[in-house]
Amino acid sequence: MVKRKLGALEKVEADLPNLQHKIRRDPKSYIEDFRAQHYQYESHREIFMAAPTAATDTGIISLRELIDFISHVADCYPDILKDFPQQLIDMLMQHHLVLEPELREKLVGSLVLLKKKDLLDSATLLHTLFPILITTPSKTLRALLFQKILSELRNANSKTTNHKLNRTMQTVLFNLVTSDRTSSKALWAIKLTRELWKRQIWTDAKAVEVMKEASLSENEKVIVGGVRFFLGGDKEREEAEDDSSDDEAIDVGRIKHQLGINKKTKKKARVAEKAMAMHKKKERKKNAPHPLNFSALHLLHDPQGFADSLFSRHLQSTKAKLNLENKLLVLQLVSRLVGLHKLHIMSLYSYFQKFLTPRQPSVTSFLASLAQASHDLVPPDVLEPLVQKIANEFVSEASAGEVATAGLNAIREICVRQPLAMNETLLQDLVMYKKSKDKGVMMASKGLLSLYRDVGASMLKKRDRGKEASMSLRAGEKLGKRFGEQEAGGIEGLELLEKWKEEERRKKRRETGLPSDGEDDDEEDEAENWANWNVEDDDDSDDSGDWVNVQSDVEIELSDSEDEGKAPPSKKAKQTEEEAKAEAEENDKADQDAFSKLATTKILTPADLAKLAELRAEAAVDAALPGSKSRRATQNTSRHTDDPLTAEEIEGLAALSAGKATREERIAHAREGKPDRSEHKSKEAKRKERKQEQGKSTTNKEKARRKNFLMTLGKARSKNKRSLVETRAVLKAHHDRQRRGGKRGNVGTSH
Amino acid sequence: MGSSAKRKKEKQKDFQKPKLKVGKAKAKPENYTDTSFRSKAIVLNQQSLHVAAPSSNSQFAHHISLLSSKSDNQRRDSLAHLTTSIASRPVNSSLPQPVSVMLPSLLPLILDGNSNVRIQLLKLLRTLPQNDVSDHVAQLLPYIRAGMTHLAADIRVSAVEILSWMVETAGEQVVSCAGGWIKTLNCFLSVLGWHTEESSRWSSSRASFGKSGSQGRSMVKVLGALADFLGAGIGQPGEADDELSGQAYFADSWSFPLCETGHHMISESSTPYAYLNLFGQPRDEEGEMYETREDRYRVFSSRFLPAIERGLKSAREEGGELGRASSGVTKVLKEAISYGPGP
Repeated sequence: MVKRKLGALEKVEADLPNLQHKIRRDPKSYIEDFRAQHYQYESHREIFMAAPTAATDTGIISLRELIDFISHVADCYPDILKDFPQQLIDMLMQHHLVLEPELREKLVGSLVLLKKKDLLDSATLLHTLFPILITTPSKTLRALLFQKILSELRNANSKTTNHKLNRTMQTVLFNLVTSDRTSSKALWAIKLTRELWKRQIWTDAKAVEVMKEASLSENEKVIVGGVRFFLGGDKEREEAEDDSSDDEAIDVGRIKHQLGINKKTKKKARVAEKAMAMHKKKERKKNAPHPLNFSALHLLHDPQGFADSLFSRHLQSTKAKLNLENKLLVLQLVSRLVGLHKLHIMSLYSYFQKFLTPRQPSVTSFLASLAQASHDLVPPDVLEPLVQKIANEFVSEASAGEVATAGLNAIREICVRQPLAMNETLLQDLVMYKKSKDKGVMMASKGLLSLYRDVGASMLKKRDRGKEASMSLRAGEKLGKRFGEQEAGGIEGLELLEKWKEEERRKKRRETGLPSDGEDDDEEDEAENWANWNVEDDDDSDDSGDWVNVQSDVEIELSDSEDEGKAPPSKKAKQTEEEAKAEAEENDKADQDAFSKLATTKILTPADLAKLAELRAEAAVDAALPGSKSRRATQNTSRHTDDPLTAEEIEGLAALSAGKATREERIAHAREGKPDRSEHKSKEAKRKERKQEQGKSTTNKEKARRKNFLMTLGKARSKNKRSLVETRAVLKAHHDRQRRGGKRGNVGTSH
Repeated sequence: MGSSAKRKKEKQKDFQKPKLKVGKAKAKPENYTDTSFRSKAIVLNQQSLHVAAPSSNSQFAHHISLLSSKSDNQRRDSLAHLTTSIASRPVNSSLPQPVSVMLPSLLPLILDGNSNVRIQLLKLLRTLPQNDVSDHVAQLLPYIRAGMTHLAADIRVSAVEILSWMVETAGEQVVSCAGGWIKTLNCFLSVLGWHTEESSRWSSSRASFGKSGSQGRSMVKVLGALADFLGAGIGQPGEADDELSGQAYFADSWSFPLCETGHHMISESSTPYAYLNLFGQPRDEEGEMYETREDRYRVFSSRFLPAIERGLKSAREEGGELGRASSGVTKVLKEAISYGPGP
């Protein structure tokens, strides 16, 4: 028998990719061939279904290749392949446990492909893939399925939010979490929800509900997953958003520049066009209104019930078997809920009691949680024993600096939120630590002091009160808030607006020659304002129903306000000192009025509101500048209610009080935050290294320096023998060359 | 100046030729690794040493396991060995291994890429006893159908050959087993390219894909197999009549008050209740069993008759060997039609 080269022959004959390519180009002509392959697939499927566990490697074409082939050309013959998706689904659902991995992956991939070709709807696909995801023991398959499900959900929500699909999927996840609370299968629900939350695909209360149920589960992993979501999910989302907006920033100017310089080809033009389109899209996106995204903690339906059951199930009950780390996570969540929504869980505070000793592991986290859990509606007599205990356990001359610092910081953080938790003797004791030699303790104590100068100066000793506080005490205003007292709500920055208006009025009066401090003529102003308003009103009524015109209206207002905004600074320069002083006094008086009358007596026009926003921004900038008086005051209150209080903040400046850090630690501390740099080198050496890295050569100067000595000898010798004329010629040539700018000369600047 | 000389030297070092000397061993290369080792004893953990030569039975089993070998020649030789050992066994003795054990490793070879293997496989199948084959028709058919629609023409032809052998040996079972009638006919139509009106015309520019092989001869073979198949499925039930009459005779042997006792006895076929499909996948219309000629004829006349008539017409018009072969099919078809749906 003559030996034939069979390998090559087989390749030519059983070439499904080739057939696939031909079918894609001309489906009608190759229908017979396709039909044959479809029968082939059917027979192979039959063989497979008869014995799914047996090896399916039959001959030179396997079932896997046939499935791949058919799903790639499925859109060409939809009527022949009516049942094909269902067959694949059946195969996968029934036999995913015993299938060989490659075939299994091919099945999943083909199903996704069929979805892409619209031969399968996404709900069916998800209903197929998700049950397998939570049951299969294979890690690789799980990873693949998770990725496919995620991308499917993303695709379904890419153009518009697919509410129907989201709702069904969320219901599936919710049922998964609630059906069996002891199983760890709910982890998949958590993983999926968290990922979609991060990508801002799911931002609604239902997703939060899933996580809420997860954190109330009985499986430790699931609990931790749910709790971590509430503690970090929103931050993750923000970061993801920042990342996505940062990357691939396109420099339009550069593209245009390159287009002008480089050779013009079709491809380059296309690339540039694409880049420009992308840029435009991004710009449009930037200008689009920002979607309202509430944090997960705000989307909870029943925070009190949730916090209650979290606390009673995972912390208070004796059956709870969480380890310390996870317990701390749950505690953090509970205390954040309590602090954010001002909930009441009275047993929470007595629960803290036993953990407040310096020997307790990670006690700073407990302290932070306690501080977080206190708010101004917590009865002071509940918090007072805790504060007392912290003071007794942590703050003493004998205790280490870090311990005392942590204790003082914790007390301060509690008292920021509920000043009434402190009694006078304790406060006066603690304030004494401001004289401590330890820097951390000293600063923590001073922090407490400055806090009580603000909120309860009468509790301090006279000499600690400070000038401002004692003056206001003498005047008898600052008495501190009573329990449950709420600040009357106002419009933020309204007093700024009032001040500004007053100034404007005075300016106008001065222009007309009247005494600037006059009290009348309010009505005139007001009338003017109303006139202003009316004009706008007329505009509105003229073309009512036309949205575009309303838009332009706003623009007009804005320009108005800008004009107004420009006026005052020029005038301010002219103001005399006396006036300034008078004004300052008046400002004080206005402050005493506390809640200005402006909002209650007048209606703010849109122009007013625009000005208000401007003034507010200005004030914020001023406050942030160093040396401003209000800076320190804002520090206590600047924290957003959403931000968590961390153990690091409680530890505070403990690092300062250590003083015992080794040299390595100090070096590491100094290096922190700086980009890592290599060894020290001269500038020249670094430059050389850089050039070498870029594959560039040395400079001419360097070449001259390194030139072989013998080669330079001849020239050096002849230099000595030059005549005067020759020397002159050489010098002149050199001079000319320099003026020209070297041998090559400066093109364009030679004359 | 110093650096250049130094560099030159370094460069030279890299390309220095090793000096070979007569009568001395060649110098070892720089990256030479010494793999020799010394040991007091070498112990082999697993070795199968037998005093007696392997029995023919165990050899048989070994060759069955070799059927899934990577090498073509090995597969062919093993098949040849199996064939000879089956053929040369004493008359009326049982097979060295039951067919149900052999089949799982034999079946994938129907789709084997090597033609020699397939030829040898057919030889082996021919040696199998008829009764054993008829019991395993349902297992064999999916592979044969897969072969008939294979991309490679050679495999298609040999699958058709195997099918005609099977019709020869167990025609009744082939046409009546699950999926045996409709699916196999579909495969025939696809092999012949007779599915649609357009594709069956000889003048149509049929874009046939893949290497067609010896197209004409293979078509003749396929037509022959089709004639056999149709004959077995819807041909005049002559033999069946004989069987029936035999059964009637058998029934008659019972004494008078019992009548038609044969129908009430336990059936003699191996799987009498297969049509109930108690343990398999649910079947669709194509996968259904058509056990009687009446059923088969009904399905055939409604689904396949027009396509086959059309195809036969065009084959006849083509003339030559193909036309002659088509006349065989036409004859079978005419007889079937004249017999009609049945008595």
